[in-house]
Amino acid sequence: MDQKDILFKQIFDSNSKKIFHLCYGYTGDADSANDLLQETFLKVWQNLDKFRQKSQISTWIYRIAVNTCLTYLRTEKRQAKDELTDKIIENKVEEYSEKNEQVALLYQSIAKLEENDRLIITMVLDELPYNEIADISGISEGNLRVKIHRIKQKLTELYNHHARI
Amino acid sequence: MQEFEDIQSLWQSHSVEVKISSEEMLEQAKKEVNGMRTKSLFNIGGMVISFIAISSLLLFFNFNSWTTSLGIVIIVLTVAVYTILLYREHRLISRNDFTEHPGAFLTKLHEYQLSRYNLYHKLYWFYAAPISFGFILFFFETLHNLSLIVQTAIVLFTILWMAFCATILRRSFMKREKERVDLLIEKFERISAQFKEQE
Repeated sequence: MDQKDILFKQIFDSNSKKIFHLCYGYTGDADSANDLLQETFLKVWQNLDKFRQKSQISTWIYRIAVNTCLTYLRTEKRQAKDELTDKIIENKVEEYSEKNEQVALLYQSIAKLEENDRLIITMVLDELPYNEIADISGISEGNLRVKIHRIKQKLTELYNHHARI
Repeated sequence: MQEFEDIQSLWQSHSVEVKISSEEMLEQAKKEVNGMRTKSLFNIGGMVISFIAISSLLLFFNFNSWTTSLGIVIIVLTVAVYTILLYREHRLISRNDFTEHPGAFLTKLHEYQLSRYNLYHKLYWFYAAPISFGFILFFFETLHNLSLIVQTAIVLFTILWMAFCATILRRSFMKREKERVDLLIEKFERISAQFKEQE
């Protein structure tokens, strides 16, 4: 294993789980999330030498993942998110449990948000610091706080609305 | 009624498993390209087998008429030239690793697509014409002693088979090939685009 392989392995091991969760939150299914994870880390692998250490490497990877998520669904012309989520819920009937149902409701609620909002709230749910989210999403920290407040409210409303149905 | 904090703890309690290692991830990325390379190799392999099989006719059989030998030589040479062209194309995609040199690989993939298009459009007729001519010469002697019905059946079958290859089979092969390469190009361009924008 050369130096680049070792470094990449370390980066992959310490970041892949969070990136997969971000992609899962965005797409709502494991297969698409896996594709996005692969594309993200392929970009990381190919551009590792271009990383300038101006920000944390995790921020850089998140930025790549967010861009990958946003372009992926548009170019792949995937099915509407609601349909996807419904299918996943249908397919996983056998794995039914109260917690699984709540998790499915959560993904369904995230799916109702706008694309950018989906990614931002996923990072908030993963407790990324606001300055990092601002850096990744390219929004000023002041504006981001307002936006996050609004998305949190919307998500909570959507979740409670779905839970009542 | 849930608060945002409850939703957040639900999110964090839902653990996701990444079932792939960094090595497997890179391998998986190479798989699609490898699939295309394997198909191209099978294609070349098939042509080499045809070359050997047809050439062996000259070695193991004694033909009385010069037309038969000339027919076989024309077919063998055409197959050889087409195999060399296929090999040249194969080298376009076999020399670069996309995961290492994305820019160079994409350029070669575009070249491959264009070359493939030419090979199965214009050049195909330069392949089909000598093969047909070769068969006509070959059939002069070989069909001579057969009954008229058998002669007609063999000639008809050959014509229909060649027409089928030149139309339905060629078109569907080209369509599938184009779709596969288009998808790869689209994916690789998408992967490369983000960093091109930032450079």
